[in-house]
Amino acid sequence: MHKIERIAIAGVPNCGKTTLFNSLTGSRQKVGNWPGVTVEKVEGRLPLQDSSIDLVDLPGTYNLSPDSEDQKVAEKVIREGEYDLILNVVDATSLSRNLFLTMDLKERTNQIIVLLNMVDVAEKEGIEINIDQLSKELNLPVIPVVAVNKESVAKALKRVENAIESLPEHDSHISSVEVIDSVQKYASIDKIHSRVVQEIKDRNESITNKIDNVVLHRFAAIPIFLVSMFVTFWFAIGFGSVFIDFFDILGGLVFVDVPAIFLSSLGSPEWLLVMAGGIGAGCQTVATFVPVVFFMFFSLAILENLGYMARVGVVADRIMRRIGLPGSAFIPMVVGFGCTVPAIMAARTLTSKRDRFMTIFMAPFMSCGARLPVYALFCAALFGAYSGFAVFMIYLAGLAMAILTGYFLKNTLFKGTPSHFVMDLPLYHAPQFGAVFKTAWLRTKHFVRKAGKIVVIAVFVLSVLNSIGFKDGVISFGNEDSEVSVLATAGKAIGPVFEPMGISKENWPASVALFTGLFAKEAIVGTLNSLYASMEMDPSTEMIAEEDRSSLDVAGSITEAFTTIGEGVVGLVSSFDVLGIALISEDQQAISEEIGADTSVYQHIATYFTVFSAFAYLLFVLMYFPCLAVIGAARQEMGGFYAGVMAAYSTLLAWAVATLFYQIAEGHNLWFIALSLLILAGVYGGLHLLGKREKMVSNIVFAPPIRKSCCE
Amino acid sequence: MSKIINLTDIGQGKAYQISGFENHPSEYTEKLHKMGFVEGTTIELAPVKLSDPIVFQIRGSRIALRKDEARQVLVKEF
Repeated sequence: MHKIERIAIAGVPNCGKTTLFNSLTGSRQKVGNWPGVTVEKVEGRLPLQDSSIDLVDLPGTYNLSPDSEDQKVAEKVIREGEYDLILNVVDATSLSRNLFLTMDLKERTNQIIVLLNMVDVAEKEGIEINIDQLSKELNLPVIPVVAVNKESVAKALKRVENAIESLPEHDSHISSVEVIDSVQKYASIDKIHSRVVQEIKDRNESITNKIDNVVLHRFAAIPIFLVSMFVTFWFAIGFGSVFIDFFDILGGLVFVDVPAIFLSSLGSPEWLLVMAGGIGAGCQTVATFVPVVFFMFFSLAILENLGYMARVGVVADRIMRRIGLPGSAFIPMVVGFGCTVPAIMAARTLTSKRDRFMTIFMAPFMSCGARLPVYALFCAALFGAYSGFAVFMIYLAGLAMAILTGYFLKNTLFKGTPSHFVMDLPLYHAPQFGAVFKTAWLRTKHFVRKAGKIVVIAVFVLSVLNSIGFKDGVISFGNEDSEVSVLATAGKAIGPVFEPMGISKENWPASVALFTGLFAKEAIVGTLNSLYASMEMDPSTEMIAEEDRSSLDVAGSITEAFTTIGEGVVGLVSSFDVLGIALISEDQQAISEEIGADTSVYQHIATYFTVFSAFAYLLFVLMYFPCLAVIGAARQEMGGFYAGVMAAYSTLLAWAVATLFYQIAEGHNLWFIALSLLILAGVYGGLHLLGKREKMVSNIVFAPPIRKSCCE
Repeated sequence: MSKIINLTDIGQGKAYQISGFENHPSEYTEKLHKMGFVEGTTIELAPVKLSDPIVFQIRGSRIALRKDEARQVLVKEF
């Protein structure tokens, strides 16, 4: 009798193994990463009569050649025999291409049980499979199952338990089994196929094919695609945004206000209040991203579950291939116009590491919703009737930068890794909302845990720096957005760096605001507002600041939080302006109300900026260091090193482009033009060197593929 | 023996047999092999009429290939 403690589920993408995994493990699931790589690892526990078994969902792969990171992970797990049993889920409707993986698995272990899934769909499509014969031919136990049917799964599980008893002794036979090449494998698969499968109906009549004939129709494909992208964006960003204020207000209450009241009632010293406030602000920042991240994961899971994701890949391929990315990278790019954090999470749907990293690098250049208030402020102050044009140019510049980034990376960091396009179009399924919800929930939890940590730390440090101030040799706290905070001092000190892009020394609030912009880019508006106001020491703003620190109104906050949901839903239904472009207008009064700035701020902006330096500043705001939450998400998806590279890259690019623009348009300083071009070249060179390093590392880390017995 | 043509030149509604690959072996043809594009396999156009990428019907599933890449696959009529 075998002792089975750990089981891995393997199968090709869309064979239904995740559905099966869900019905086997119920709610006992955990999402994480495989050690050392950024491939998602889903674990669960399977309750049996007398014990409970660890179950892991391997990444979906068509074979075990180490071509992609997913496949490397699956191959390693199976080869090392870490799991006692491999449950190979095989899609009965596409037997021959599924059996290829089975053949690959058989070369690495003999502890395999085949679960023949979707036997019901196969039957409907007119495919008859002789299961006993298949089992004999494969020399493996084969158990039919319908993964979406709980009863069927329970029955199959019983049979799996019995089959375990009769499995041969474990043998990891790297040496004892003949390894054959793909052509030979398909030759034997074809032989098996001809003996066990009978097709009695024309496949073209299936529902999937009928849907495809419309969805992938020469003329209908693009409109349907655009509508589906809009719905995805609308749902993920629009719907997610409805809850942002709710989470923001409640998060502020729970993490910032209540602890502050509590601590001061205990008579805590001021430095402790500042520290607690910093951590609270960090938690609040993470909380505001929870709804968009959740709804992003939710809509992605629906698209994937439905089977439309592969069609997105096909339809968008013609656009995306020009920048060297697969069609499915279109979704993260589109979502980037709403919020970069869910865009980075959406890159998960890309299977190759190169594609994923490239997409993550490019996504922040898609101008997100948080940058819009900054544009609105400057437009109202300076651009007047040309506001629409200016904002359009900013968005266009972002797109151009994303494409430039793609071009840079393609030729440096990810050189020599072309991606060919071989896209399998799975059957359409009705999405199972329970499973979709759970996937989205687990991934969001993982995001909060993993990305949240770094965001909280970063926000904490910045908040403390924003609060501590030195004046006349005395340390004080509570100097947020004032001239004396350490952050402001640092901003002033670093000011000369921004002079080449048209920010004069007297305009130090502009450079200080770039620091607070690290929290979230819309914070720039608030900082500019209070710093410009403090420059003239207008007593009225002092009073407003006092008012802000009035006593805590818990019930009021909660009511306000819930009100925002209602307002959000109304706004969502009544307007299709998901980007919030309506914010841009010439009406200074209206914009002030919308973004919470004083009207006096416009005069300051008009005094300190010219049209060109303002545009350069907006270019910089668009491109520099994406906010801390984005870096947290990038770190979760790519690791700390590449998140750092991304931060440095975007900031350098921002400086170079903003300076180049300003100097060409107005400054006319040849030295600075040369310097910015030099920096661009330096960035390119740096990425090139990194690419070389990356190649070396990947050569060391990954063992060569197992030897083949035949040469091709 | 029927004429050998590129996969991108096949007509609608007729079944063909894969007879070989240009530039074989390459990373691409290896990948195609693993996805079931081997010599002797039956292949036909799916009736979706998308011009690029092109959707093919092979081994009971539909697979989309880019036009300029699929050209490397050689087929002959049955």
